[in-house]
Amino acid sequence: MKRKYFTAIAAACVLVLLGSCSGSKDRLYLYNWIYYIPEDVIEDFQKESGIRVVVDSYASNEEMYNKLLAGGKGYDIVVPSGDYVSIMIAGGMLQRLDMGKIPNYANLDASALNRIRFDTGNRFSIPFMMGAAGVSVNKTKVSGYEHSWNIFERNDLNGRMTMLDDMREILGAALKYLGYSVNDSDPAHLEEARLVVEEWKPNLVKFDAESFARGFAGGEFWVVQGYAENVYIEYEPSRYSEIDFFFPKEGMPMYMDSFCILKDAENVEAAYKFINFMLRPDIAARVSDYLMLPSPNVPARALMTVTPNYQFEDLAKGEFKEDLGAQTLLLYNEVWRRIRVGN
Amino acid sequence: MRRGPGLAYASPSLLWLTFFFIAPLLIIVLYSFLTPGQRGGVDLPFTLNAYRAIANPSFGKVVVGTIAVALAATFFTLLIALPCGYYMARSSKQTLLLLLVIIPFWTNFLIRIYAWIAILGNEGFLNDLLRWLGLAEESVRFLYNRAAVTLVLVYTYLPYAILPLFSTIDKFDFSLLEAARDLGATKFMAIRKVLLPNIRAGIFTAFLFTFIPIFGAYAVPLLVGGTNSYMLGNLIADELTKSRNWPLASAISLVITLVTTIGVMLLLRFNGTHILEKKHEKA
Amino acid sequence: MKKPDFIKAFSFSRTVYAVTIMFLFMPLLVLVLYSFNESRSGSWTGFSLRWYVKLFTDSSDLWRAFGNSAIVALSSALVATVIGTLGAVGVNWYRFRLRGCLRTITFLPMILPEIIIGVSLLVFFSGLGIRLGLFTVFVAHVSFNLPFVFLLVLARLEEFDFSIIEASRDLGATELQTLWRVILPLTMPGIMSGFLTAVTLSLEDFVITFFVTGPGATTLPLYVYSAIRFGVSPVINALSVVMILGTVVLAWSMRRFLKNIAAK
Repeated sequence: MKRKYFTAIAAACVLVLLGSCSGSKDRLYLYNWIYYIPEDVIEDFQKESGIRVVVDSYASNEEMYNKLLAGGKGYDIVVPSGDYVSIMIAGGMLQRLDMGKIPNYANLDASALNRIRFDTGNRFSIPFMMGAAGVSVNKTKVSGYEHSWNIFERNDLNGRMTMLDDMREILGAALKYLGYSVNDSDPAHLEEARLVVEEWKPNLVKFDAESFARGFAGGEFWVVQGYAENVYIEYEPSRYSEIDFFFPKEGMPMYMDSFCILKDAENVEAAYKFINFMLRPDIAARVSDYLMLPSPNVPARALMTVTPNYQFEDLAKGEFKEDLGAQTLLLYNEVWRRIRVGN
Repeated sequence: MRRGPGLAYASPSLLWLTFFFIAPLLIIVLYSFLTPGQRGGVDLPFTLNAYRAIANPSFGKVVVGTIAVALAATFFTLLIALPCGYYMARSSKQTLLLLLVIIPFWTNFLIRIYAWIAILGNEGFLNDLLRWLGLAEESVRFLYNRAAVTLVLVYTYLPYAILPLFSTIDKFDFSLLEAARDLGATKFMAIRKVLLPNIRAGIFTAFLFTFIPIFGAYAVPLLVGGTNSYMLGNLIADELTKSRNWPLASAISLVITLVTTIGVMLLLRFNGTHILEKKHEKA
Repeated sequence: MKKPDFIKAFSFSRTVYAVTIMFLFMPLLVLVLYSFNESRSGSWTGFSLRWYVKLFTDSSDLWRAFGNSAIVALSSALVATVIGTLGAVGVNWYRFRLRGCLRTITFLPMILPEIIIGVSLLVFFSGLGIRLGLFTVFVAHVSFNLPFVFLLVLARLEEFDFSIIEASRDLGATELQTLWRVILPLTMPGIMSGFLTAVTLSLEDFVITFFVTGPGATTLPLYVYSAIRFGVSPVINALSVVMILGTVVLAWSMRRFLKNIAAK
């Protein structure tokens, strides 16, 4: 009877399922941004150390943070951006690090480390990659613009431009455009920033953090705010010359994604080994080559074989996003809701 | 209807839903009366602040927009699903027809939405076709507005409307239609007066299966909507994850649940016979 | 001669059905096309099998996610179908305490926004100290599948001629025999729709799964969703094509079995 077959298959699935939920302790559970570390790097680590790495991915800090906040357990390492590092430190979610176990920390660029305010002295976090969202322009379609946020004021590009669906990135851009800090907490400045965004909004097709790069590569969008690596991966190398990726001269919000060990991590020793491995110059260079991003790892820069999409020095005009604190966050939320919903 | 081992039949469902649905839900009810934590989550003391915040008129705007999109999408979905269910029920190749409806949906829906973006985009297939036919010179903007959201929602929820309609129409006694025709009813009259009332339960189920999920839709407006296609699902998700205001997100969800439940009950009452409580005199 | 009128109505509905199927398959055509495209961007640059090669040689993460999805979809649909069908039979056929209660709570999972169901389940699981993983995903999927199965089967039972059951009892059949031999076969189209809907819902779900999943239990929608910021790689298109072909082959090989069900 075929029906029995079918029932048997489904029953087998239930059994596999029940068997699979027992956790294992000789594994390292890494909760990381999607496509942030190439698979062959992970494989090399497994070969060298004999530790199995299980990778799960997220696409935004919020996803990762809410998941952990609601009680998600079982991960050893997470890779939050700076502002979320300080939120997680304050929430008691991270372990104090033992620097003796991460000798490769010395490879990191001191000038970058000195700008860190979210975890001064790196007691809880080890910087991995540093970067910022910028503006990509399709040079075959758009000309006569300057490297400024004011490109979003051009209503002749109406319906061909997108900005990130991200409160901090958009308000940060507007604040920088006005000459304020990306972490500004003055309600009057925020109101000014809101008016700037309201002026940009009619020219935008949408607020998009998911598919802007694909739309840009397909010729649908001509000007997008977003991360360089997302845009370049959609392009064949032969067409790279069409892209003009720049950081606006007024400055921009910036991130520092950092390795952190969670307080309830089960495999702490393996976590240290992994972080130290990732800071090794040859490994850091491979990651940077893969992402086409400049490395905060000084000896790695000489080992890179790919020209990054921008230079480390270009980040000088950027400013790290910091945690705003509960009061200011409410203010930002209110402003952002008004922009998103309309008045 | 009789007494008997009904509870034995129903107890697995009852237990499962009580344990894995009602219990977690009570936590959400509790959350809606708490204060947002400093870094997300919830904190004491108890307060009604979340419910006060809902009174904000900007929420009303989102609600009205969401209802409009959900009603339009549900209407078109049912309009398409009814003849489809009818044809499938009358056909002798039911299994094949059923599979044809379902197979497209075993492909990840994000991938299918991306395919829609490729079809409807400024540089997409449809615009290429229009240009090739000489019907348009400039590309027509189909995407990133409410019409696009409605279209993709209809696409997404069609099978959820077709399946219940098919399974009720299949049980319908078609000789009744012929009887009505013999009594002089027009074709349209026969369908309206005989078929539709008899498959009301199926129509109602189809309505619920489409309207309610569309009401909470999140990904479709996010991907094919424009700057003004913000829907309730997006609002809740943003409050929960980005603004880290869990009590407010909980409160909005509970108000939606309450309003929808009352709506469903009124609809049932308004509909005359209580469809799901239909009396079985024969039994 | 009134029959021809109904044949006309029949052909109208056939036209709608055919157009609908075209509408449903349109995105799939695009997907098939892209899976054979040489470049990864939207424009056509030439025929290539490179994405299929990559799929079968260098995509272990993707296959792991696919395996997780298949396990969860089949097992949760099966359990939800069994539980939900029993519930619907009970509610339709008998009067008992808590009857109205079951009707009401089956509505709720459909009404609540997915994101809230996801968060509430996550808080609940972590409160009980249950380790997150495939098992918690399975539990969540049964919870949101159950109401759909329940209502689909109920809709079928509503149209049921109860005298058949009475007849079966009068002929001395026991409760179980009646259920197995009479009620279930006659309800099969409803049960099958319920099961298929449940599999579909489960394969699709992203939001709830996102919250209740744990280390190493990434499903296909989760993988795809976290990947879309980097543009969906055509490898996923290739996998979708393989999945569609697999479904068709499976359906073809089971056609006898399915036909039996439909015939009953």
